[in-house]
Amino acid sequence: MNTFLRGGVSFFDDQKSQTSHKPIERFVPKEVTIPLSQHLGEPARPIVARKQKVMRGDCIGEAVSGGVTTGGTPIHASVTGTVKRVALQPHPLLVESLAVVIETDPNAAETVWEEVPGWMDLPKGKMLEQIASAGIVGLGGAQFPTYRKLKLPEGVKVDTLILNGAECEPYLTSDHRLLLEMSLEVLQGAKLIAKILGVSKILIGIEENKKDAADVLRIAITKQHTSPSPKVVLCQTRYPQGSEKQLIEALTGRVVPPGKLPMHVGVMVQNVATAVACYQAIRYRRPLLDRILTVSGKGILEPKNVSVPIGTLVSDIVTFCGGIHQRTNKVIVGGPMMGRALGRLDIPVIKGTGGLLFLRAEEVRKEIYGPCISCGRCLEACPLGLEPNQISIYTEAGRSLDTESFGTKECFECGSCAYVCPAVRPLVQFIQIAKKSFQTGSQFGLARPEQNL
Amino acid sequence: MTEASPQFLLSPGPHLRSGLTTKQIMWWVNVSLAPIFLWAISIYGVRVVWVLVSGVLGALFAEGFVNKCRHQKQTLGDGSAVLTGILLVGTLSPGIPIWMPFTGSFVAIVFAKMLFGGLGYNIFNPALIGRAFLMATFPLAMTTTWLKARPGLFFPPDAVTQATPLNILKMEGLTSAVKTLGLGSKFYGELFLGLRAGSIGEVSVLLILLGAGLLLWKGIIKLPIPLSILAGLGLIAIFSKVPLFHLLTGGVWFGAFFMATDYVTAPMSPKAQIIFGLCVGLITGVIRLWGGYPEGICYAILIMNAVTPALNRWFRPSRPKWEGTPS
Repeated sequence: MNTFLRGGVSFFDDQKSQTSHKPIERFVPKEVTIPLSQHLGEPARPIVARKQKVMRGDCIGEAVSGGVTTGGTPIHASVTGTVKRVALQPHPLLVESLAVVIETDPNAAETVWEEVPGWMDLPKGKMLEQIASAGIVGLGGAQFPTYRKLKLPEGVKVDTLILNGAECEPYLTSDHRLLLEMSLEVLQGAKLIAKILGVSKILIGIEENKKDAADVLRIAITKQHTSPSPKVVLCQTRYPQGSEKQLIEALTGRVVPPGKLPMHVGVMVQNVATAVACYQAIRYRRPLLDRILTVSGKGILEPKNVSVPIGTLVSDIVTFCGGIHQRTNKVIVGGPMMGRALGRLDIPVIKGTGGLLFLRAEEVRKEIYGPCISCGRCLEACPLGLEPNQISIYTEAGRSLDTESFGTKECFECGSCAYVCPAVRPLVQFIQIAKKSFQTGSQFGLARPEQNL
Repeated sequence: MTEASPQFLLSPGPHLRSGLTTKQIMWWVNVSLAPIFLWAISIYGVRVVWVLVSGVLGALFAEGFVNKCRHQKQTLGDGSAVLTGILLVGTLSPGIPIWMPFTGSFVAIVFAKMLFGGLGYNIFNPALIGRAFLMATFPLAMTTTWLKARPGLFFPPDAVTQATPLNILKMEGLTSAVKTLGLGSKFYGELFLGLRAGSIGEVSVLLILLGAGLLLWKGIIKLPIPLSILAGLGLIAIFSKVPLFHLLTGGVWFGAFFMATDYVTAPMSPKAQIIFGLCVGLITGVIRLWGGYPEGICYAILIMNAVTPALNRWFRPSRPKWEGTPS
């Protein structure tokens, strides 16, 4: 069974059964808050004003600053309605950002998307342009503008396109449902992206716990009879298989050296949801407007997979999913391994939001930590062969700048080390602190905490 | 906010964790030692209970005392002090004066563990330092108080002293040992089951394997260290004409599965663990065959504990080279 070479963790119970059988439900709230910063780089510039009427799909934020494109992506109105205000609003990752608040018009007609004539054979540049103006970013969570990722620098050639359907984080099932319910769109998207890149080999990586999705895809592929014909590859269920470099290792055996990108070994990875978004952008010029996400955990009364307009507030989704349990201890945006804890619920869903988890105290790891006992479990768990134990000990002692040889800079913060640590040490945070000290050039450290277990 | 706003925990990921905590690991090791001590009580008498209580109290008292002096949070509940006490008692003879294990544990915890910074920071296995201390200060009590094994369902008849097989071999030579002990299959069977004179923890290879099996099943210890220790000793024991005798006597099994596998004082990478284990086994054999002591596992492990930091440095995980920043 395909998998990556070293490290990683297997979950005793990946908790996906809470939502994996539930079809995606559509929910449109009364009001959306659309942040103008949903990608790496400069925020988009708002081009709407208060009381202005907007249609679903209208551009409300341009990725242009002083007449020059910023390298960001445009932002679109995800509902038809009236702009209530353009103001600073809470943001899931950035604490606060400028956002457009739109009141939904309940009587608005469903938007009709017209097909672009000859969409299948558009020139490469035209396709990229449509992807760019659709505001598509990497939907696996990284939110890197897709048109920039697809535009290869001079001299770099890729031969394989990998669609990432691994969804290795526990609880999350939105990509699983997407594969089951929109398999044709996924395949169309893959074909179009392959065309843009000029590659003939398409691999779709899916973890073993989603066998049904793989079967559905395989049937869809045989029905289509098109070349290049994508190949579905089942992988062992193992975290962090959905990480780009690990998935490449699992499917092709190629190792992306630290400091390099997948394209340097001839591979391009795109998330399955991104592929669907690209398909819709090329065929219908439809911008990225909705987000499919998993709402799960023992803290939410009705776990669901939902499709919501981007900008829907977490609090509205909570109401749609039956409310939260009294003993909910932690709210997480994203997966439980790499996601972030939220302190409030008036936060909007953005393009990269794959899940909302409401966890009770018994599901969450306790944060009181003890000294490293040198058990070596973190060394075994690290998929990159780094030494989280050493980084944490050095950083604890105020010597964060001396941790480079342990691989601080290479860490992509999958959290496998901290997941297995018997002393519950916050290894990822120690690494983050050490990374920060490389940026600033000064030693960071913590006073040694009281010893407790 | 529309919801009645409950307090949500704000802490960084990962938000899940798996496996045993440090505390659970320590207590599981304690539990795995229970059959060994029950057996010791049943063959050497109730006195073993008092030896055990004395050792554990010494360890707890020492740890509590140092924490108090240093104004640190108490760490008695984490099970590691109890474990040190139990392990030390495991290396002592059952007839030892009752106050000695207390003293040994106190020295072990204060000098080998707490003065280095407590759990996780010590270089040497505290229990073995405790034994080495007792060996140096009270050699007579440490080497002449062995009891004859007389099974009696926790109430064996009065204790009778008897030299250990290794002592007989060391002091009287091979020919005499053959005469006294027989060295037949019955003798080796008794060594395996634990019907002989010896330290409290070392006598029954069978029960040591039972405890070790529990730890292996729980994923707490792994095989490279214990197996390579046995292999190392086996290599040297070939020179002794009675290799099986050496493999089945003394504390090598107890040391290999419960002492040398201590996370803090053993190396982390599997390769380093094999080297560590082989060296422990070889040094044990050298001490037994050519050194002054009948038993060598204690000093062998302590010597290799000192090499552990170097082994950890020499055997680091390998990984692909950094090839510049992404363009």
